[in-house]
Parts: sequence; C-alpha cells; structure tokens
Amino acid sequence: MGGLDETERHVVLDLGAASTAMLALLGRARCRVEITDLVHSGGIDQLNKAEPGPELVEAAESLLPGRLPDDAVDLVFCWDLPNYLTLKALSALMNAIGQRARPGALVHALIFYAEPDMQEHPGRFVPTADGELIDCGAKSAMTAAPRYSPEALGNSAGPFVIDRARLLSNGMQEFLFRLDEWA
Amino acid sequence: MFERGKKDGDTIESQEANRTKSDVSFESVRPKATPRGGDAAVIGRSIQINGDLRGDEDLRIEGDVSGTVELRNSALTIGKEGKVKAGVYAKSIAVDGETKGDLYATERVSVHVNARVQGNIIAPRVSIEEGAHFKGSIEMDSAAIEKALGKTTASGAAKPVARTTASTAGSNKAVPKDAARSTGASVNPPAKTA
Repeated sequence: MGGLDETERHVVLDLGAASTAMLALLGRARCRVEITDLVHSGGIDQLNKAEPGPELVEAAESLLPGRLPDDAVDLVFCWDLPNYLTLKALSALMNAIGQRARPGALVHALIFYAEPDMQEHPGRFVPTADGELIDCGAKSAMTAAPRYSPEALGNSAGPFVIDRARLLSNGMQEFLFRLDEWA
Repeated sequence: MFERGKKDGDTIESQEANRTKSDVSFESVRPKATPRGGDAAVIGRSIQINGDLRGDEDLRIEGDVSGTVELRNSALTIGKEGKVKAGVYAKSIAVDGETKGDLYATERVSVHVNARVQGNIIAPRVSIEEGAHFKGSIEMDSAAIEKALGKTTASGAAKPVARTTASTAGSNKAVPKDAARSTGASVNPPAKTA
C-alpha cells in the first residue's frame, strides 16, 4: 500500500468486510473508501444463483454502490472472493466494477492455485502495518478450489486485463487487473 | 431525585435507601452508569422521535429517531437498542445499534461490534470493530471532509449524503501511480514471490 500517492485523491472499493486496520492503512492517503461486503450481505449467493443475462447484470449492479462519474473508483480489493464466484458471476461483477472505475483502475484478487482445497467460506483479510495480510476469518470446512487459470480469469474480467500475477509462497496467486484505457 | 451531576455521596446514598419500586423503573430509561456516553442525556427505548433533534450536551439514543440529529459540540452514542434513521452531525459518534443515514463528525466515528450502519461516514478518524456491519462509504480525504463538514455547519443542520459534495473536492483525474506495487500485500504467513 506504500505506493498510494498521498497527494492525490483515491477512491477505493472494498468488497470485503470493513476493518479498522484497513482504514488505518488507507487513511495514510487521501482516500474515499466504498465498502460493499459481498460475503455478509449474501452477495456471493445472489450472483451465483442469478440467471446469466439481465438478471445477473441487475444483481451485480444492485450489489455495488451507485455510479459516481465525478469520483470514479481507482482501486478495488476483491480479496479471495473470485474463488467463490462462478466465472459468469465474476464476469458480471467485473463489468459492473468497470462501469464505476476510471481508466487505469486496478483490481486486486487472490486466487487459490497450488492447493486443491480452500475454506468453504471466504477469508477475512486484515492488513498489517508491514503490508502483509492476515486471514482472520473463522475456520470452516474445506471444499474444492476452482483453481481458475489466468486465461479463464482474463476471459472473465470484463473490461479489465491482467496487469500482473505472481505466485505467493502460501500457494495463492495474486492478480492485479487493470482497466483498459480504451475500455 | 434524578438530578444529574450531583456529587454529594451521602445524599445519593440516602436517595438509594429511600428509592421506591417506581424509582427503579427510571433506571431502565436512564442507566446509572453508561459505558459509553458518560453523563449523557438519554432517549430511552420506548421513545420515538420524528423530526429534527438539536442540542449542546452529550446524548445517548436507545430509542427510535428519524430526521436529523445535530449535536455540534457534543458526543452522540447510539446504544444497542437505538435505531437512528437520520443524518447525524456531532463532535463524535459511537454506534452500538443501527443507523441508516450519513454520519458527520468533526472528531471521530466509532462503529462497535454488532452495530449496523448503512450510509456514508465523514470524519477525520473512523474505527470499525470486527463484527460490525457496515455498508456505505468512508470519506478520509481531509480536504473533502473539511468541505463536507463546513458545508454542513454553515447550513446549520446535517444534510444527508455527502456523496456529491465529497466528489468535487479532489482531483477527478487521480489514477494511482504505480498502485500495482501498492497492493503487493502478502498473505500470512509472509508470502514471497515464487
């Protein structure tokens, strides 16, 4: 997070639960933080169960904050939520995010890659002052991880393109998607 | 019998001794000791207020309030039983109950565990405990906060929704420079690039 330019205003969309640690970290810069907790709001089920087409588009639109053309989003934290979405649901969500983002905006996501299993419920990630993340979520039963490939994710990222991907030592893959300047 | 701030211990003790059952019932409306809010005035659980609420002393809300709440120089606590559907302006705001509307504070907003908050928070310092439910935005851009709070103060009342107000404060062309590096967070245990 150290790279956020403190002289410029940033609009951040957090799709996880609010945490004081995250606010403290973002508070170092000039930020407006939009929080839409897709886990506790039932948003994941809503997206996964919606019929592809208008119903899914509507579901994604209704879950996200209203469009702010004068204050568009430039950084999005998805945490590990994409693992719990179908690719169609992910695509609808990314398209809806794209409608609210400015060109060059970034979406951060963590994908289970090396391990075949993942927790049944998404994690609750809290940053430390050192820029590391701790999963403070309650432990739940394990379920098969979809282990989405970069290609599948890229094809389901709507107007976003993969900007960077790196494998972490815990077996997760960290992705950064960038909103195409010409989207 | 229910004077606030009376410090004569003997007097209070004798009042305790003479207290009748009907006296005790008042305790449920105004708790003797409030963990947050101290010696604040209290809107009890059975009270419903629909309209503008203004004052210059600390207040604890345990009832239902709709409209606007303005405590320019004081602290507001929304207790566990409190339900506030209003634009709120205060020096500091602590939420244990439910709010729907924008919260403006010149000093701090604290959202405690099990609280439910829907709306925008505009304050220099914000804390949200784990287990609290929050949906909305948090304005932490000092320029936007000053603008929003100034506008609210100037108007003499807390006007809900700072969304558009805040949006005009900053650069509309801000793109995080190299924010990709900024999000290079690792997952515990400390992860290293393979």
